[in-house]
Amino acid sequence: MTAVTAVTGHTDQTGHIDPTDDVDNVDDLDDVDDVDDLDDVDDLKSSERSGGSGSSEGVDRSDLSGSSSHSSSSNSCSSSGHAERDSHAGEGDEDGDRADDAERAWDDGLIARRVVVGASPADGDFAAVRGAVAGVVVSGSSSPGASQSYGESAAYDTPSSYEGDASASYEGDASAQNTTVAYEGGLRGRLDALRELIGLSRTRLDSKTLAEAGQVLDEAAARRRLSDRHTVVALAGATGSGKSTLFNALAGVMISETGVRRPTTAAPIGCSWTDGAAGLLDRLGIPGRLRRRPLQGPDTQVLQGLVLVDLPDHDSAAADHREHVDRILGLVDAVIWVVDPEKYADAMLHERYLRPMAGHAEVMFVVLNQVDRLPGDAADQVLDDLRRLLDEDGIALGEHGEPGATVLALSALTGEGVDELREVLGQFTRERGAAVRRIEADLDAAAARLRPVYACGAGAASARGAIGLSEEAREEFSDRLAEAVGAAAAGQAAERAWRRHAGKACSAPWLRLWRWYEAQRSPYTTGRHVLRPPADEESTARARVEHAVRTVADEAATGLPAPWGQAVRESAARGAQGLPEALDELALRAALPDGRPPRPGWWPVAVLAQAAMTLLQVVGGLWLVGQIVGIAEPNLGVPVLLMAMGIVGGPCVEWASGLATRGPARRHGYEAERRLREAAAGCGRARVLDPVAAELLRYREVREQYVRVARRA
Amino acid sequence: MLQKAIKIGHSSHVVTLDVRPQLLDALSALRERVAAARFPLPLPGAPRARTNRDELLAQLDDYLVPRLRAPEAPLLAVVGGSTGAGKSTLVNSLVGQQVSEAGVLRPTTRTPVLVCHPEDQHWFSGMRVLPQLTRVWVRRREGEGADGVGPDGERLLRVETADTLPRGLALLDAPDIDSLVADNRVLAAELICAADVWVMVTTASRYADAVPWHLLRTAKEHDATLVTVLDRVPHQVVGEVSRQYGALLTKAGLGDVPRFTVPELPESAGGGGLLPATAVEPLRVWLEHRVQEPSSRKQAIERTAYGVLASLNARMPELAAAVAAQYAAALRLTSAVDDAYECEHARVRERLQAGAALAGDALKRWRAYPLDCGPGELLDAIAESLEALLLCAVTAADERIDNAWRREPAAQAPGLLHHGRRAETALYEDDDSPEHRIGVAVRRWRRELEEHAEDEVRALDRADKSALPDAEVVAALLATALLGGRRARTAGETLAERIGAHGALRLRDRGGRLLTDYLDKVLGAERERRLAPLDALDVNPEPQAELIAALSVLQKER
Repeated sequence: MTAVTAVTGHTDQTGHIDPTDDVDNVDDLDDVDDVDDLDDVDDLKSSERSGGSGSSEGVDRSDLSGSSSHSSSSNSCSSSGHAERDSHAGEGDEDGDRADDAERAWDDGLIARRVVVGASPADGDFAAVRGAVAGVVVSGSSSPGASQSYGESAAYDTPSSYEGDASASYEGDASAQNTTVAYEGGLRGRLDALRELIGLSRTRLDSKTLAEAGQVLDEAAARRRLSDRHTVVALAGATGSGKSTLFNALAGVMISETGVRRPTTAAPIGCSWTDGAAGLLDRLGIPGRLRRRPLQGPDTQVLQGLVLVDLPDHDSAAADHREHVDRILGLVDAVIWVVDPEKYADAMLHERYLRPMAGHAEVMFVVLNQVDRLPGDAADQVLDDLRRLLDEDGIALGEHGEPGATVLALSALTGEGVDELREVLGQFTRERGAAVRRIEADLDAAAARLRPVYACGAGAASARGAIGLSEEAREEFSDRLAEAVGAAAAGQAAERAWRRHAGKACSAPWLRLWRWYEAQRSPYTTGRHVLRPPADEESTARARVEHAVRTVADEAATGLPAPWGQAVRESAARGAQGLPEALDELALRAALPDGRPPRPGWWPVAVLAQAAMTLLQVVGGLWLVGQIVGIAEPNLGVPVLLMAMGIVGGPCVEWASGLATRGPARRHGYEAERRLREAAAGCGRARVLDPVAAELLRYREVREQYVRVARRA
Repeated sequence: MLQKAIKIGHSSHVVTLDVRPQLLDALSALRERVAAARFPLPLPGAPRARTNRDELLAQLDDYLVPRLRAPEAPLLAVVGGSTGAGKSTLVNSLVGQQVSEAGVLRPTTRTPVLVCHPEDQHWFSGMRVLPQLTRVWVRRREGEGADGVGPDGERLLRVETADTLPRGLALLDAPDIDSLVADNRVLAAELICAADVWVMVTTASRYADAVPWHLLRTAKEHDATLVTVLDRVPHQVVGEVSRQYGALLTKAGLGDVPRFTVPELPESAGGGGLLPATAVEPLRVWLEHRVQEPSSRKQAIERTAYGVLASLNARMPELAAAVAAQYAAALRLTSAVDDAYECEHARVRERLQAGAALAGDALKRWRAYPLDCGPGELLDAIAESLEALLLCAVTAADERIDNAWRREPAAQAPGLLHHGRRAETALYEDDDSPEHRIGVAVRRWRRELEEHAEDEVRALDRADKSALPDAEVVAALLATALLGGRRARTAGETLAERIGAHGALRLRDRGGRLLTDYLDKVLGAERERRLAPLDALDVNPEPQAELIAALSVLQKER
């Protein structure tokens, strides 16, 4: 066992990484597919169940550098992840049902309706057990935004690094009063991760959820400060089951009052076998007058280090007894449940206590008392039935050397079986592992409770695999923004305008004249020049922008647990404020400059050719006129040929240049469209996508912490 | 109101309640109302209300109505209590033979057992009381349906006869009231509701348990005829325990309840032994006295029956309040939807007025219109823009509703939450998405607009047929003028030029109406779709009034 004394400064080891650095890397990070770590949780759970321990890959696999390519990692996830997720989804449902059952259990109307009224609000949950101390706000967590670098996490995972100095310092300090509870590296890492987790998610989750988790931290810290040479064990059970009798039998002296009056014990009584347990008893709130010492004798040595607490009952009509029990059960290292043949199947015991505490099986004893009341082999039957019930409650039974709850039959009155319990208890106490195991079980319970707010649901959304913004979603967002600023239409208009201008410049004069005349003749001139309107205000389609932002936020939020999805939506909505105005401005700046569009190099040649054709016609015409007048000598052939060339050539040149303008016009249009589109996309990325990605990154970071909390070394 | 001594065929004289048929009618009317009450929304009080409803129904069906219909039926004493309290042993000892299995494993009794005199059997073989339980006559053999459920999943009631019991008395051994098996608890509550006499069994180590005390208080509330048995008391502490139990009862206001103490004997632990007759003698005598002495029988029956009737005064308003809460929650949900859609409706109208539909693509087309853009393209762009505007309004309304509903516990009802539906519909996409529906509506709007334009153009009385304006151009200009607001002023002018000021005005009027119609239709349809699952739950205010009305009729008839 590893013991660490100097762990108080451990928060200093956490590296403070500037969160903005991460935000800059957002684009790269989005490509890293990130289901790995959650699958790891499932991995861990399943391997835990099957008793395997091959889960060392843990967080390391999902490292931030994202070296694995997008496609390969996503493939591996979707293939390997599915089966596990499915199987796990089933378990999740089952758990959910069980929780529901527990909540419903005590609402049976007529009979039990008042049980709920008297109980703490969140009954059915293990929280109820610790509910009495609720309201303790998380105090010990480190600053939000701080994140752990992975090199350090590796250090936590290797207990050997602690072993050296730990053992040395422990030996040196062994006599000191305030030795700390032995801490294994894994547990400490998990606690630190939980602290980080709470810090990171404080602004996103409601404080009630976090307070429960923070309480685990507080209790762990409080226990750590106190003696680890002692093991605090509580005797719990129904009224009349013989808790006090067993307590006295173990102590060897009449300490706790027993009697036929029900309920007998009204306040918890503590008994310490070794000195130095004052702090522990203080923590339990047991006043000095209720602290006892056992009868000194040979048996005392066996139970060295034990602090036994006799609890009031949990099922009598006296509600304050239940409060005592619920409070103290959250603070002790181990519990001995005392049941008797009459009450071992009580719904209250199983549904309110044993089922929610099933994860604490390793620090649980179940003792069937009063076997002297049972005739013959009935005791074995009852014990078997009790085992069956415990199994149905989901409590692992410590049989055949496996970790789990110990089940014993005894009679505190006749002393039958008490020695066996003493032996088991002595062994348990000497191991000194109960406190750590208890904290681990608490952590497991807290992690299971937090699962819905950190791990994504196994719904249709997560079946698609990736969490976060896919490349398609980003593309779609850009497209929508481009539509909102009218990039495509602007490009087309620019292309057409360019061709129109070109056509005008290169067309034959006669054709141009004819077209002008046609236009004049028509009552509705389509060719009339429109005055260029003043620049439009609000030229961006507001509705389209709004819709684009909403769609992309929804896309990003699918598969995320509700609070984080909401945070993503909010950050998108924040970014969308002022986006339309920015786009308006951009559209003005990014639009092509007014005036004549740039012309291709061949344009003057075309114009020249057209002019030459006109010149040819004129020359031919003049020549003919000259012949008629008599200035020139008669030669019909050449001038007519010249004129014909001019007349045919003009449209030919126009047609040819029309063909030639097509390409440049399209390029021009593309250019216009591209400028608008890129400007809009850039604006959208800066204002919406980046904040969303930052929010996703934050979630991812938190989930990594969660995975570290949930994994059991 | 009471009739003396009706002779009904067996040796004892019984005094029965005289019940007017009106009371029975009122009671069955009330029963129907109670049975019709529904609590579909998952409000905090809904599960409680549901149990209350079921309990009340069970008590009316199993006890009150049969008792008032047949006052001469045998007295039913139900033995209830915690697991391991020794109920079965007690019943066996009272009967004097092994009728109900007792044992050390808990819970022992899973199938309730009813014991009566052979000649009383006809009262219980029919469906007069406990109609929801299937009768079985033979004792189950080992390993056969050990959980109180028949082969078809129906619940069972074993009827046993014993001539050691006096006529006119039936004992019912109920399952544990705090059983680990939840169904057993429900069944136990139902059975206890059917009792004329409640026999509550507790033990020396249990008498301070919380659960039985709840039951005792309930019995007090209903003013039922109640007996308590303190079982399994070790003989050395009999005096002390019984004294303390008495003190606790007195403190709870139950001091006058008959109390019997049965000592712990080796037979108590189960295993088939019967307690000696002397141990249960006082209880048996008390029960026989209830049956055979007319006045005490009358008293016992009357007390429980009127207790139940009186308890209706408190329980019916409670149910009615729960119904009202359901309706209020449904109303809140509906009004959140209405608010969201109204708000979005106003926003869309405002945007249309301001010409927001003529933006982006559509605006660019319009600016390029006569020279570089055809009327068809312009119309396309404007229709698309309108579609985007409507779609945005619908999704914004949905988001608004989601936000409002997130704070409502009632919105957690299955099928109400939007995101669940979205995930489901994502599978068969397109056909049922708002995009699709709005697209269809906008295309229809455009077609009608074009038809209007064609009508108008055809109606133009121009001498020069070739000078008629193109209908498509008119439609495009009209759409621009309608949706463009201020920045499309020139569209209106051009339109007037083409088809004359009168025609243009008329066309714009018709187009405007058309647009408003379609806007209302689209948003209305989406709103209805959103409300449909809520409407399907059929939460309305009538049941509340009906419950209260039925109660007041009953009160008048008493």
